[in-house]
Amino acid sequence: MKTVLLLLMLFPLMGAALNALLGRYLTRRGVAAVACAAVLGALAMAVAAMVNTTAITRDIRLFDWFSVDGFQAVMNVHYDHLAAVMALMITFVSSVIHLYSVSFMREDEGIIRYFCYLNLFVFAMLVIALADNLIFVFLGWEGVGFCSYVLIGFWYSDEAKAAAGRKAFLLTRIGDAAFGVALGLFFLIFKDLSISHIVARTSLLSLGTATLLGLLLLWAAVGKSAQLPLLVWLPDAMAGPSPVSALIHAATMVTAGVYLLMRLFPILILSPAALMCTAIVGTLTALFGSFAALVQSDIKRVLAYSTISQVGYMLLAVGVADIVGGMFHLLSHAFFKSLLFLAAGCIIQALAGEHNIFRMGNLRRHLPGVSLLFLAGCLCLGTFPLLGGYFSKDRILLATFVHSGELSKVLWVIGMAAAFLTSLYTFRLYFIAFQDRPDGRKKDEFLQIPGFMSWVLYPLALTALFDGLLNLPGGFGKLFLGRYLASVPGSIVEVHATAREIWGMRIGSAALSLGGMVSAYFLWRRKSEEPALRGLRQVLFTGFYLDIFYERVIARPYNRIAGLLWTDIDEGGLDRGSEKIGGGFQRLSQGLRLWTTGRLSTYLRMLFLGFAALLCLLSLSWYIQ
Amino acid sequence: MIVPYDHILILAVLLFLTGAACVVARRTLIMILIGVEIMLNAAGIALVGGSLKWGVLGGQVFVIFIMAVAAAEVAVGLALIVHSHRRSGSVEADHYHLMKG
Repeated sequence: MKTVLLLLMLFPLMGAALNALLGRYLTRRGVAAVACAAVLGALAMAVAAMVNTTAITRDIRLFDWFSVDGFQAVMNVHYDHLAAVMALMITFVSSVIHLYSVSFMREDEGIIRYFCYLNLFVFAMLVIALADNLIFVFLGWEGVGFCSYVLIGFWYSDEAKAAAGRKAFLLTRIGDAAFGVALGLFFLIFKDLSISHIVARTSLLSLGTATLLGLLLLWAAVGKSAQLPLLVWLPDAMAGPSPVSALIHAATMVTAGVYLLMRLFPILILSPAALMCTAIVGTLTALFGSFAALVQSDIKRVLAYSTISQVGYMLLAVGVADIVGGMFHLLSHAFFKSLLFLAAGCIIQALAGEHNIFRMGNLRRHLPGVSLLFLAGCLCLGTFPLLGGYFSKDRILLATFVHSGELSKVLWVIGMAAAFLTSLYTFRLYFIAFQDRPDGRKKDEFLQIPGFMSWVLYPLALTALFDGLLNLPGGFGKLFLGRYLASVPGSIVEVHATAREIWGMRIGSAALSLGGMVSAYFLWRRKSEEPALRGLRQVLFTGFYLDIFYERVIARPYNRIAGLLWTDIDEGGLDRGSEKIGGGFQRLSQGLRLWTTGRLSTYLRMLFLGFAALLCLLSLSWYIQ
Repeated sequence: MIVPYDHILILAVLLFLTGAACVVARRTLIMILIGVEIMLNAAGIALVGGSLKWGVLGGQVFVIFIMAVAAAEVAVGLALIVHSHRRSGSVEADHYHLMKG
């Protein structure tokens, strides 16, 4: 078991190291083969680990890092069922994405760099998923942040793309700072950073400390998972290649925040206030993302805002203490959203880099294979009854509805509204980009893309469409995921609700989904012109001016202060001051230089003169005595 | 002691001043070196006189040291003067002003 888990993490790391060190001696095919083999190996190990688990939760000691003054950094694996599911999802999705990338990056010259960082990312993500010691979780956390930064700015010669990478890096650091503070507090209270240790001793926490820790962890998750108010980096992160968006900014990294909260859920549940904040942040972000996605014209930005909104649902699930629902939605979202991003990548390549959905059209006729896959993704995202995200979102909304307190009803209403908007924007995207229309693209405008790129998506599409089977609310295999995750602390197998509530929710959300779809059909079926950005549309398009707000309120004053410190204080004060002092000494020594004539006779004369003066002084002092 | 100590000191001072005047007034390196020798000998006479007056042997020992040092100094000094004369063709002290600031 130890070997399996070690290999699970080491395979991607070795792939990255091999490509980094020896990549230039390999052919392009060789580089891709190394990367894919590493991730497929990790997938095999994840399956093996899952099948082999006999005990429910195992802490496996891999190696010791260091130990200082009572603090021990031990690399343990805390392998419970949550970690098992997460590791399996990460390796499966990244395997598909690695295979897809082989075709997608077929003409890119930075292929070694690309696969190296992609493998490194998988490694860091697996560390987050598996590590027991929070210091290692933090290392993985920073590792995925770094990989996200380099992969967003992968085409770094484009200034805008490099800036998008920087922005993502800086904004997620704001969240990471809170994680760092939380680590300090954990060590102060528990004298250990091991998750299993902490979870077993939550009774040490007072309500105030638990709330503080919960809020710090929430803030960390908000940064990583692109939630309000730190979400502005994710839409810009779409500057990276599409498979990167699929892997990092849809399936795995952005859900790391939610995963962290699930992992440390026993702390969160101690504090009703922290839970409430989590639920509120999640719901508001879900609504925010749906509204913003409704008016975007860039296909990847629609999907990015949709990701923000869907991760909001997962946070809502954690906030209403249903981590099974959250994990369920995390899984189905990972499948259908990476499917959507990868299909979007096919479309973008077939249209020579076109991102604007208003300049697409007719895709269904000319790209039938890809549009079928995209439709599958859309049905899942739009929670079409009985497919994909339907069961998971339903479960979250049901858990919200039956959660105690008046607030949860309000959150439920907002969640339902966001669900309707989700269906609406999803099918808006589908109808505008894929429906036949006279001014759409002609047959000869499409470039040939490798068939492999769409073939490799079919397993993903199948899992996305039928992942509801994982946790059916009834019948054969009822609540499989719920029972599997029952051993995770704080989880509930089934949401306790009356039959009326359950059926009302099922029919209600199905109706909302279909309603959104039909409305989208009538609203955007024939739409082909990009509407002008005015009024409300502009507000939504810019993401409620949040970006501009940060720019004006934080970035610009900061730049001004930095400029002041730089030009006035550093250059004007310190630099010029020391230059002036140096100049003064230089002038003084210029004067002193004149004394050294270099004439030996003068020196001798002066020597005797000085000697005589000294003697005179000496005799004078004797005389006075 | 036949000669009074005062006389010895006066002789020493006169010799020393002569040497100093030689060092200051003459511009040739050889003459400066001779001046230094005279000054050293003046100091030596004062030390020998003192040693006789107080009956302490230290003064005479010192003089022997001074003589040894002076011999060595003359040897090195003359060699240097010969070398610099070969290099620049002059033994004038003021001719050498590489140290001018």
